[in-house]
Amino acid sequence: MTTFRGSSETPLGDGENERAREQRHEVLAELLAAYSDQELPAEMAAQIDAHLLGCARCRGELIVQFAVRDRLAAEPTPAVPAGFSARVAAAIADLSRPVDDPSAPLPPAADPATARRRWHGLWVTWSGWAAAVVLGTLLVGQAGVLTDPGRRPWITATPPTSVAITDSIPMIDDAVANYRMIMAGDLPGRARDLAAVRAAVPFPIEPMGGSDLRLLAAWTTDIRGEPAAALAYRWGDRVIVQYVVSEQLFFRNPAVRRAVAASRTFVTARGPQSVIAWPEQVGGTLLVGDGLPEELNKVREMAGQH
Amino acid sequence: MSNSAHRLADLHAQFHALVLPQLGALLAFARRRTASHSDAEDAVQEACVRAWTAFAELRDATKVRPWLYRILRSVLSDALARDGRRRLLVSITRLEDAHEALVAGDENALFTEVAERLSSEMVHDALATIPEDFAIAVELHDIDGFKYREIAEIVGVPIGTVMSRINRGRQLLAGAIAAGRATWAPGAQPRAAAGGQARPRTR
Repeated sequence: MTTFRGSSETPLGDGENERAREQRHEVLAELLAAYSDQELPAEMAAQIDAHLLGCARCRGELIVQFAVRDRLAAEPTPAVPAGFSARVAAAIADLSRPVDDPSAPLPPAADPATARRRWHGLWVTWSGWAAAVVLGTLLVGQAGVLTDPGRRPWITATPPTSVAITDSIPMIDDAVANYRMIMAGDLPGRARDLAAVRAAVPFPIEPMGGSDLRLLAAWTTDIRGEPAAALAYRWGDRVIVQYVVSEQLFFRNPAVRRAVAASRTFVTARGPQSVIAWPEQVGGTLLVGDGLPEELNKVREMAGQH
Repeated sequence: MSNSAHRLADLHAQFHALVLPQLGALLAFARRRTASHSDAEDAVQEACVRAWTAFAELRDATKVRPWLYRILRSVLSDALARDGRRRLLVSITRLEDAHEALVAGDENALFTEVAERLSSEMVHDALATIPEDFAIAVELHDIDGFKYREIAEIVGVPIGTVMSRINRGRQLLAGAIAAGRATWAPGAQPRAAAGGQARPRTR
């Protein structure tokens, strides 16, 4: 808390005026950095101009703000160490080294970073290789969701052929961001928390089945500010996460609605992650995991979500 | 060369043109929150790897700087979480008292002179004594030159919070500088400000 110190040219008024001026000082003093950085609207800056005329303390504070800012602004940007740019370039280039046999299993990773880079490398190189498989089925030139009009209204054992080429879909972006955050740290729940999760969300939660799937953890989260359930599964050597959201949220985006109406499934990719979304009896599921869409679709098929 | 190979080559060229010129600033930002140059380099390299894998998501090349800083912050946060070290800060009250004495007295002009003469090491020591949230906001604006709106995006807080953090951060920094002035006088051994212990680096 700071104290208002009126200058001699602004004689103090009665107690009430003094309190009002003190409160005004407290508010404006908080804005002095933004004022010094010209980040305030003109009207607000003009109010501070007027306040400074009568407040010695704020004038002193402004000098301090300028002094700190100007000293830090003079801080030089250090030179990049010799070879560091080349090291970074090499790390990036290493990620996109061609893979002779994309189906070949990866050797054991020496450390998580190595594994991540190797997988990213696969993803980057596969993206070209797999284009003929996945994206080749798209009807190029059509905005939004592209679908195969001859397909049945559900997906059976074939990979999904309706991959959405969309800009941002907030629900999908939130789920992928949550997935990335979770994958960067510890899983927030445990499998036995499923009952608590079921009790916490207003729609039924049914874990996916399948002999290759093992429920690892369940927790509640929020997608677009609305409650959602998250269930993490071990699938082979990967972890995938099923986000269950409300019906209203699931069908909010028109791209999702069109895809689901056409093929009962919405499929998209965000960087190295894929997302497969489908409606449940009540609510909807967003399945997020590393890998290509057709890989993730195997989980959906295995779970019997036809 | 196939279309996909052409596309990959184009992406590489774009990435190099946009990202590599930022390495110096990214290294400096990382260096202020890591224990060594090599740790900072590792963090920046990891950030670049993450940036490359998400490069297709960068839709506006003019926003590459805040985007990179956001990724680097994430990398540094991961390192902090992994290493599990807690920051030890100088007493906020002591910094606030030093700032209050500075502003209430008649040493403003002197303070400006003192601040101008501080070495980079002293500046970094002072930054290390204030809470990370305040330090990051101040550094992103004053050293890295971001606008408040960009800082809000990088840090993920409302712009009003950025205003408040920069205001308070500079006050605490001024307190640290004022309190450490005697310690930092020519010939004295550089130490953390305000008689406290500097914040340990994340690694």
